[in-house]
Amino acid sequence: MSPEPQPPVGDARIGQREEAALVARTRAGDRDAFGLLVERYAAQARRVARAVLKDPDDADDAAQDAFLSALVKLDQYDPRRPFGPWLMRIVANAATDRRRRRSVRSAEPLDPAITGGGSRPDTQAERSALGTRLREALAELPDRRRIAVVLFDVEGYTHAEIADILGIPEGTVRSEVFHARRKLRTLLDDWKEPS
Amino acid sequence: MTEDPKAFDHQPDTVLGAALRAALDPGADAVFLARVRAGMSAARPGSWDVLAGWARPGLAAAVAAALVVGFALGRTLAAPDALDEAAVMSAEGATPTTTALISATRPPDASIIFASRP
Repeated sequence: MSPEPQPPVGDARIGQREEAALVARTRAGDRDAFGLLVERYAAQARRVARAVLKDPDDADDAAQDAFLSALVKLDQYDPRRPFGPWLMRIVANAATDRRRRRSVRSAEPLDPAITGGGSRPDTQAERSALGTRLREALAELPDRRRIAVVLFDVEGYTHAEIADILGIPEGTVRSEVFHARRKLRTLLDDWKEPS
Repeated sequence: MTEDPKAFDHQPDTVLGAALRAALDPGADAVFLARVRAGMSAARPGSWDVLAGWARPGLAAAVAAALVVGFALGRTLAAPDALDEAAVMSAEGATPTTTALISATRPPDASIIFASRP
C-alpha cells in the first residue's frame, strides 16, 4: 500500500495560491483551469464519496455531481480560503443526499457483496479481504463519523477544516474521529494478529 | 477494557489512513475525468444561472403585477364618471330647485336658496 500524494497534505498546501489562480481563470471562462482542479481532487472526492455511498458507481456519480455543482457555484467560493475543504463540503453533501434518496427509494438492505464494492474486481484494493472488511466496518458507522475519519486519517484535513466541511463544532469532530478510530483499529488489530 | 491511547491523537494515523485509502481506492481516474469534462460543457459557471433560473417566474410575476396595476388604475379613472352618474340619478326624482342646485356648474346664489324657503 503506497499512499499517493493528495492535497491538502504536505506540499499541496503550498498550492493554495495556485488553486486560487485556477479558480480565477475558471471564473474568467477558462474551462481547462477547472479541469486541472478536477484532476487534482478527483481521487480524493471519489474516496470521500465512496466512504458514504459504498457502491463505487454511485460514489462516482455523486463526486461528478459535486464537481459540476462546484463549477456552477464557483462565485460563492472565497479565494482567500483553501479550495479543498470548500469542495469536500460539496462532495460530502452530494454523497449524503444521494444516499438519503437511495434509502428512500429502497428500504431493503443492500447485499453485502454490493456494499463491499464487489462489482469492480479490477483493482488490488478491491480484491483485498482487508479492504472489504474495512468498507463493511465503515458502513456500520454513522455518515458523519465515517466522513470525519476519512477526511482526517486518509485525506489529512485538520479538525478545524473538517468542522467547517461538516458544519459541526471542532470538539464534535474530535469525538467522531475518536469513535471511528476505536472501531476501525480493533478491526485492523484483529486482522494483523492471525497473519 | 483499556482505552486506545492513540484514539485521541491530534495527528493522522498513517497506518489506519493507508489501510482506509487502499480500501476506498476508486481505481484509475481517466474515465471519471472524461465524464466530468463532458458534464462541464453543459454546466455554466457564475450567477447567470441564478438569473436564468429566475427569468420565467420573474416574467410571470411582472405580467401579474402589470395586470393588477392596470386594473386598479382603470377603476380609479372610471370612479369620477360613476359618481357623476350617481349624482344625476339621485337628482332625477328631486324638485326643479334641487335639480338646478345639483346640476349647476356655478355655486348657488344664497338669496335664491333663502327665498325658496316657505
